[in-house]
Amino acid sequence: MSPVVTPEVIWWALLPLLVLSVGGFLLLTIASLVRRLPEALPQAWTVVTGLIVLTATVPMWDRVQSDGPRSFLGGMVAVDGSTVLVTAILSIAVVATALLARPYLRREDLPGVELYVLLLMSAAGGVVMASADDLIVLFLGLEILSIAVYVMAALHLRRIESQEAALKYFVLGAFASAFLLYGMALIYGATGSTRMAHISGYLASTILVQDGMLLAGIALLLVGLAFKVAAVPFHAWTPDVYQGAPSPVVAWMAAGVKTAGFAAMLRVLVVTLGTHASDWRPAVAVLAAASMVVGAWVAVLQTDVKRMLAYSSIAHAGFILLGVQAASERGTAAVYVYLFVYTLLATGSFAVITTVGGRGDAAHGLDAYRGLARRQPVLAGAFTVLLLGQAGIPFTGGFVAKLGVLAAVVEGRTYWVAMVAMAAAAVAAFVYLRILVAMYLEAPESDTADRTEVPAGTRVVIGVACAGVLLIGLVPGFLLDIASDAVPVLVGG
Amino acid sequence: MAVLAAAADVPFAVLPALLVVPAAGALLVVVLPRRRPELLKLVAVATSMVVAAMTVWLVVAFDIDRGAEMQFEFRHSWIADLGIQWLLAVDGISLFLIVLTGILFPIALLAVDPGHDDRAYFAWMLLLEAGVIGVFCAMDLMVFFLCFEVVLVPMYFLIGRWGHGNSAYAATKFFLFTMAGSALMLIGILALAFLHADATGGGLTFDLVELAEAQSLGTTTARWVFLSFALAFAVKVPLFPLHTWLPDAHTEAPTAGSVILAGVLLKLGTYGFLRFGLYLFPEASHFFAPVFLTLGLVGIIYGAVVATMQRDLKRLVAYSSVAHLGFIVLGTFALNTEGIEGGLLQMVNHGVSTAALFLLVGMIYERRHTRQIDELGGLQKSAPVLAAVFTLVMLSSIGLPGLNGFVGEFLVLVGTFNAHRWLAIVATGGVILAALYLLWAYQRVFHGPAEGANAEMPDLKLREGLVLAPLLVLIVAMGVYPKPVIERMEPSVDALVAHIETHVDGFHEPTSRFGADIVVGEGGDDAGDDH
Amino acid sequence: MLDLVWLVPAFPLAGFLILTFGGRRLGEPTAGWLATGAMAGSFLATAGAFYDLAGRDVHDRRSVTTLFEWVPAGDLTVDVGFLADPLSLTMCLFVTGVGALIHLYSIGYMHGDADFRRFFAYLNLFAFAMLMLVLGDNLLLTFLGWEGVGACSYLLISFWFTDEANASAGKKAFITNRIGDWGFMLAIFMTFATFGTVAYVDVLDTTAAGTVATSTATFIALMLFVGAIGKSAQFPLFLWLPDAMAGPTPVSALIHAATMVTSGIYLLTRVNPIIADAADWVPTLIAWTGAGTALFAATIAVAQRDIKKVLAYSTISQLGYMFLAVGCGAYVAAVFHMITHAFFKALLFLGSGSVIHGMGGDQDMAHYGGLRRLMPVTAGTFVIGWLAIAGVPPFAGFWSKDEILAYAWNESPLLWAVGLVTAVLTAFYMTRLVILTFFGRHRYADPRPDEVEEAWASAIAVAEEAVVAAAALAAAVTASEAATDEPDVAEAVVAARAAHEAAVLERDGIVASAGERPELPALALYGAPDIGPVADRLPDQVATRSDHHPHESPWTMGLPLVVLAVLSVLGGLIQLPFSTATKRLEGWLEPTLFGNEVHLSVGTGTLWVLAAVAVAGGAVGILVAVAAYLQRRVDHRAFEQPILADAWRFDRLVSNFMGGPGRAGFEATANFDSTVVDGAVESVATMVKAEARLLRRFHNGLVRTYAAGVGVGAVGLVVWFLSRTSF
Repeated sequence: MSPVVTPEVIWWALLPLLVLSVGGFLLLTIASLVRRLPEALPQAWTVVTGLIVLTATVPMWDRVQSDGPRSFLGGMVAVDGSTVLVTAILSIAVVATALLARPYLRREDLPGVELYVLLLMSAAGGVVMASADDLIVLFLGLEILSIAVYVMAALHLRRIESQEAALKYFVLGAFASAFLLYGMALIYGATGSTRMAHISGYLASTILVQDGMLLAGIALLLVGLAFKVAAVPFHAWTPDVYQGAPSPVVAWMAAGVKTAGFAAMLRVLVVTLGTHASDWRPAVAVLAAASMVVGAWVAVLQTDVKRMLAYSSIAHAGFILLGVQAASERGTAAVYVYLFVYTLLATGSFAVITTVGGRGDAAHGLDAYRGLARRQPVLAGAFTVLLLGQAGIPFTGGFVAKLGVLAAVVEGRTYWVAMVAMAAAAVAAFVYLRILVAMYLEAPESDTADRTEVPAGTRVVIGVACAGVLLIGLVPGFLLDIASDAVPVLVGG
Repeated sequence: MAVLAAAADVPFAVLPALLVVPAAGALLVVVLPRRRPELLKLVAVATSMVVAAMTVWLVVAFDIDRGAEMQFEFRHSWIADLGIQWLLAVDGISLFLIVLTGILFPIALLAVDPGHDDRAYFAWMLLLEAGVIGVFCAMDLMVFFLCFEVVLVPMYFLIGRWGHGNSAYAATKFFLFTMAGSALMLIGILALAFLHADATGGGLTFDLVELAEAQSLGTTTARWVFLSFALAFAVKVPLFPLHTWLPDAHTEAPTAGSVILAGVLLKLGTYGFLRFGLYLFPEASHFFAPVFLTLGLVGIIYGAVVATMQRDLKRLVAYSSVAHLGFIVLGTFALNTEGIEGGLLQMVNHGVSTAALFLLVGMIYERRHTRQIDELGGLQKSAPVLAAVFTLVMLSSIGLPGLNGFVGEFLVLVGTFNAHRWLAIVATGGVILAALYLLWAYQRVFHGPAEGANAEMPDLKLREGLVLAPLLVLIVAMGVYPKPVIERMEPSVDALVAHIETHVDGFHEPTSRFGADIVVGEGGDDAGDDH
Repeated sequence: MLDLVWLVPAFPLAGFLILTFGGRRLGEPTAGWLATGAMAGSFLATAGAFYDLAGRDVHDRRSVTTLFEWVPAGDLTVDVGFLADPLSLTMCLFVTGVGALIHLYSIGYMHGDADFRRFFAYLNLFAFAMLMLVLGDNLLLTFLGWEGVGACSYLLISFWFTDEANASAGKKAFITNRIGDWGFMLAIFMTFATFGTVAYVDVLDTTAAGTVATSTATFIALMLFVGAIGKSAQFPLFLWLPDAMAGPTPVSALIHAATMVTSGIYLLTRVNPIIADAADWVPTLIAWTGAGTALFAATIAVAQRDIKKVLAYSTISQLGYMFLAVGCGAYVAAVFHMITHAFFKALLFLGSGSVIHGMGGDQDMAHYGGLRRLMPVTAGTFVIGWLAIAGVPPFAGFWSKDEILAYAWNESPLLWAVGLVTAVLTAFYMTRLVILTFFGRHRYADPRPDEVEEAWASAIAVAEEAVVAAAALAAAVTASEAATDEPDVAEAVVAARAAHEAAVLERDGIVASAGERPELPALALYGAPDIGPVADRLPDQVATRSDHHPHESPWTMGLPLVVLAVLSVLGGLIQLPFSTATKRLEGWLEPTLFGNEVHLSVGTGTLWVLAAVAVAGGAVGILVAVAAYLQRRVDHRAFEQPILADAWRFDRLVSNFMGGPGRAGFEATANFDSTVVDGAVESVATMVKAEARLLRRFHNGLVRTYAAGVGVGAVGLVVWFLSRTSF
C-alpha cells in the first residue's frame, strides 16, 4: 500500500501564470455581469495585471539566481532564468498592447473588453510555453496563445481585412500546429518520453541505431515553431495578417507571439535536442538566411508601411534565428537580448503606425508619412529613433541586438550566414530610409493634412520604447548580463 | 606654451571630453527654443570652439619625446560581455586629423547658415563632430566601427534636408553605399577578435594594439579579414571604381556638409587603411599593396581627367578629391616612411585646401545661385579679393611648392618612387593634370569679360574673409614650415613601418639606395627605358 | 656679408608682402617706386655678397647659409638654405640688376593701369621666386623657385584677364611648363634615391668624385633636361613662349627674355658634373636640341609681323644657342651668352614696349615705319640692341655668340654650320624689324585692307539706296500718270525712268570696280596704297590716326633703355677670348664647373677665321634685309612665306590635337564615369528590385499558396533531416 505522492508545486513560480489567467477570467466575468462598465476599467485592469507580473518577476529572478532552476509539477513545468526573463518581456508587451488598445478601440468605436481578456489569455499561454518542461505542456501553451491571437486578429468587426487576416492566420496556424504535434509524437516514439529532461538525458546517454524517427520528429517540430516565429518559408501569412489585423494586436503578435515562440524554440532545440545540434543547425541557418533575405528584399517593394514592417519583422526573425542556430550560450543569450530589444522596437513602431493609421486603420501608405516631420516633429523624431534602431545603427539597441547574434554566429564560424545577414541588413536599411525620406525629405501632397492627436497611452509606449532603445544602445551591459544569466537549463525530476 | 605644456601633465581625460562636449552641445541645442536661431548658432559655434581649443591644446600637450606610444590614453570597460571598452588614445598618426576636425567644424558652422530647421541642423553637425573625433581616437576596433558607422546618420540628414537639387537621392546613395561597404567589416572585426581569443586562449578583446602586436591570425585568414576591412575603407576613400557616391553627395550637400565631407569624412577611409589595414594586417597589406597602388594611381589620373570635363564647379572639386585621395592611397601602400608620412600630410592638407575650395564655391553660389561654370565668368573683375583667395587655394591644391599641397604630394611621390619606380613616373603625370582642370576652371569662372549678374557680383565680405583666414594661414604655414607637423608624425610612422618589416618576412622598407653602387641596376632600367 | 645673402630674396619678398597687404594707400606711383626700391636693395645686397666672395680664395668661393629645416621626413631632409657661389651670384647680379631696371621702366609703362599695385606685387613675387631658384642650395628649393616663377609668369601673362586670349596664354604657359616639371620632379626623386640627399654641395661633390653609375646620371640629366626645355622654351615645349607675349611688355622683357627662360640653362650648368657622368648621347642630344631649336625659331622669326612675336622667336632661338653651348660643354660660353642676351634682349623688348606704348598698343609692324624721328631715344638704343644681337663686333652679342660658335665647331662642324645659318637669319630678321619700325615710310596713317573693304562696302550700299529710291519715285510718277493725261506728267515719267537707269548704271559701275580693284598688300612697303574712288568713304579712325603722332616715352622708360644700351655695348668685356687674363668670366666660374668645361682644341688661326666667317654671315643677313626692306631691290614677300608665318603649323597641329582627339578622349572618360561606373551601381539597385518582384509573386494573398509554402518547407526540412540519418 504505497502512499500517493502528490507532485510538488512551487506556487511562487506559478504566480505569473496564475495572475494572468485569473486576471483574464475575472475581467471576463465582471464585464459580463456588470451592466455599465466604466470605459477605462478593462485597460487599467490589464495594465495593472501586466505590471503585477512584471514586478513579480523581480523577486522570482533573484530566487532563481540564488536557488538555481527548479522543475516541478512532476517535471511538467520548470522555472529558470529564461522563464522569468521571457515572462518579463511578455508582460511588458502586454502592458504596451493594452496601452495602445484603448485609444484604438475608442477611435474605431469597438466594444473593448474581449481584446483585453484575450490578450491576458494569450499572454498566459506564452508564459506556459516559456516554462514548459514537457512537450505536451509546450503544445498546450502554444495553442492557448495562438487561439487567443486568432480571435484578436478578427476583432475589428467592420473591416473585412481583419476577418480575412484572422481566417488565414487560423487555417495556416492549425496546419502548422498539426506538424508540431506530429513532430512531438515522433520524438516521443523515438525517445519514449515527452519530458524534455528525459529526452535530452536519453539522447545524451544512448546512441540511437536508427535515428530516422527522431530526426523526422525534429524536422516537423521545427516546422511548427518556425511558423509561429514567421520564418521563411512558413512566413507567408505574416504580411497579410499584419496588414489586416488591428494595429495594437499586430504589436502583440510581433512582440509577444515571437518572443514566446523563440523561447519555446530555444527550450526544444538548443536545450533538449542540443545533442543533435549538428543535424538541425544547418537547417536553422538556412531558415535564418532565407528569412533575412526574403524579409529585407520584398520589403523594398512595399508602399504600405505596415506591410513593410511586417516583412522587416520576418527579417528580424531571421536575425534571431541566427542566435538559435549558433546553439551556444552566447547565441541563446543573444536571442533574449534581441527579443527584448525587438519588443521595444515593435511595440514602439506599431504605436506610431496605429496613430498615423488614423480612423479605419486606413492610412498606412507612405504618403501618410510625407512631411510628417513638419507636421509632428516629435512623433517623426521618435519614429526615426525606432527605425534607426530596426536598421541596427550604432548606439541604438538594434545594433546591440544584431551585434550579439552576429558574434554568436562568428563564434560558431558559420561566416556565410553572417555575410548574408549583413547583406540583408544593408538592403533592409534602404527600407527604413524610404520611410525617413518620406517623413523628412518629401512634402505632403496636401498641406491641410491635420496633425493627428497622439493619445497619452500611446505617448507612454513610444516614449518608453525610444528611451529603452537608446539606453540599451549606450549602456547595454545590464541587459547582456541578465540575458547571459537567463540561459535555460533542464532539471531532471 | 610652457604653462600649457605643464597643464598637459594634469590628469584630465581630454579625449572623452572631446566626444562628450559636442554630444552635450547637441543635446543643449535640441532643448533650446526653436525661435531663437541666433542663440542656437551661438551655442553650436561656442561648443565647436571649445572642442577646437581642446584639440589645439592636444597638440601643445602632445609629448614628442614619447615617440610612437599612445598618449592621453583613456580606458573604460563598456560591454564587458564582449570585451568592448572605451579605449581612446592619440598618437602621431591621428593627432593632426583630430586637430583638423576640431578646426574645420567651427569654420563650417560659422561660414553658412542652414536657412531652415536650424535646431536640427546644428544638433546633427555637433553629433557628426563627436562621431568623427570618435573614429580618430578610438583604439578599440568595435568603438571605431560604431563611430565609423554612426557618422552616416548625421551626414545623411545634413545632405538630405539642407542640400539642394536631388539631395534625397544623393543622401540615400551615400548612406547605402557606405553602409554596404562597411557591412563586412563588422564580421571581419568579430572574426579577428574570436580567432585571436582562440589563439591566445584569453578572453575576447578588441584592443587594437593588443590585436596588432599579437598577429595571431594565419596568413590566409588575415588576408580575408583584411579584405573585409579594405572594402569598407575603399568605399569611404573613395577608391576607383567605388567613388560614384562622392560627386553626388558633394554636389547636393550644403556647403558646410561638403566642407566636412571632403575635409574630414574622406579621411576616415585613408586613416582606416593606415591605422587598421597596415597595422593589423601588415602581411596582407604588403600582399595586396599592388592592387591598392594601382587603384590609387588610376584614381589620380582618372579623377583628374573626369574633373576636367565637369560643368558644375562643385562636381569638379569633388572629382579633384578622388585624384588627391589617390595620392594618399599611393603613399600609404608605398609602405615606407616618406610615402606614409606624405599620405598623412596630404590628408591634412587636402582637408584644409578642399574645405577652403568648397567654402569659396559656396560663397559664389550664394551670390550667383549657380555653380554652372559656363554661367559664370569674369568674376575677378567684380570680386578681386575673392579671386585672389581662390587663386591661392587653387595653387595650393595644384601643389605649388611653398604651399601646403606640395609637401605631402612630394613625399608621397618620393616614397612611391623608392618603392615602385614606374608607378611614381606615371603618378607624377597626375601633377600636370591637376594644373589642367583647376586652371581651366579658374579661367572660365574668373577670367574673361564679366557680363550681367557676374559684373555686379559683390566681393568677399569681412565675415567671410575672417572665416577663411585660418585656412589660408594654414595653407601658407604648412607649406613653408611643415616641420612641427612632420616631427610629431614621424615616430609613429616609423614604428608602423618597423612593425610591417618585422611581421612580413623578407620585407624591408623600400627606401633610397644610398651610394651609387647599388643604383646601377634600377638606374639602368629607368634611364634605358626613358627616352 | 655672405651670411646676409638671404637679404637678396628677402627684399622682393618684403616688397610683395607690403604691396599685397598695403591696401589702397599704395596706389600709383608709390607702389612702383616701392617695388623698384626693393629690387635695388636686392641688387645692392647681391653686389655686397659678390665682392665678399670675389675677395676670397678661389677654392673657398662657396658658402651655404641654412635658414631652417624645410621638409625633414624619413631619410629625406631638405633645408631652406642659400648656396652662394660664383655661378649663383652671377645669375643674381643680372637678375636683380636687369630686374631693377625693368621695374623702373614699368612705372612709366603701366601708367594709368587700374591694377597698378597688383602688377608690381606680382613682379616682386616673381623676382623673389627667381632668386630662390638661383640661390637655393638644393634641387627642391630650386624647384620651389622654378614653380614659383612659373606661377608668376602665369599670373602676369594673364594680367589683363578680361581678354580671353591672355587668359588662355597664361594657362598654356603654366601647363606646358608643368610637363617639364614632371621631368624635374623625377630627377629629384632619382637624386634622392641615389644620394639620399638633394643638396647641391653633397650631390655634386659625390658625382664629381665619379662614383655614380652612368645609367643613374643619365636618367637624372635627361629628366633635368626635360625640365629645362620646358622652362627655357626649347623644341618641342617652346609653344607657350610666343603666346606669353600676351602679357605686358615689361613682363616679356623680364620673365620671357632676360631671366626666367634662362633658368633651364642655369640648372644644367649647375649640375654639370651629372651631365659629365651621363652617357655621351645626352650632351649630344642637348646640343642638337639647342641648335635645332635655334634654327627652327629663327626661320619663323623671319616672317612675323607682330614685333613682339619676332622678339619671342628670337629669344627661343638665342636660348637654343645657349643649349648648344651647354651640349658642347661650353658652360662659360652659355652663361656668357645668357648675360649678354639678358642685356640686349631686355633692351630690345623694352624698346619695342616703348614703341608699342607710343603707337597706342599697336604691335603690327606693318603700321610702323619711320619712327626714328619721332622716338629718337628708343630708336637709338634699339639700334644698339640690334647690332648686339646681329653679332656685329664689338657689341656684346658678337663675343658671346662667337665663342659658342667656336665651341660648336670644336664639337662638330655640322653644329657650327647650323649655328652660322641661324646667325645669318638672326641678322636678317632683326634688321628687317629695325627697318620696318624705325626707317622707311611712316605707314601709320595708311588705310588698312579691312578699312578699305569697309569703304567699298559702304559705297555699294549707298548706290543701292539710290537705285531703290529712284525706282520708287519712278513707280509713283507712273501711277499718277495713269490718273491724269496732262503732258508735263508724261515728261516727268520719262525723266524718272532715266534717273532710275542712271542710278542702276552707277551702282553696277561701282560693283564692277570693287570686283577688279587691286589686292591691298598687308605690308604697304611701296608707298601708300591707292584706293581709288572710295577714298572719301574711309572710316573716321583713318583720319584720326593720321593726325596722331607717336611720342617718345617718359624718362622712367628712357633711362633703363640707355643703361641697357651701354651694357649691350660693353657686355663683352667680361669674357674676351684673347687670353686667360681677359677670360674673366671663365676664371670666375671655374670653381663651379668641376673642370667639366671643355677646352678648345682648335688653333687660334682657325678661331680668327671662324670669327671672320660669322661676322661676314651677319653682314650678309643685314645687307639682304636692307636690300629687301629699305632699298626694295628684292621683293620682301619672297621671305615671308605663309608656312613660316604660321610657325611651320606646329602650334596649330598641337592645339588641334588637344582640342580634337584629346578633348574627345577626356569627354569619353567623363561619360564612361557617369554611364558605366555609376550605371553599374544603379543596376545593383534595379537588380535587388527585380529579385524582390520575383519573390513577391509568392505573396499573392491566397491561403493555398501559403499552405503550399509551408508544405514545401516541411518536406524540405524532413528530407534534409532524413538525409542525416545513420542507416
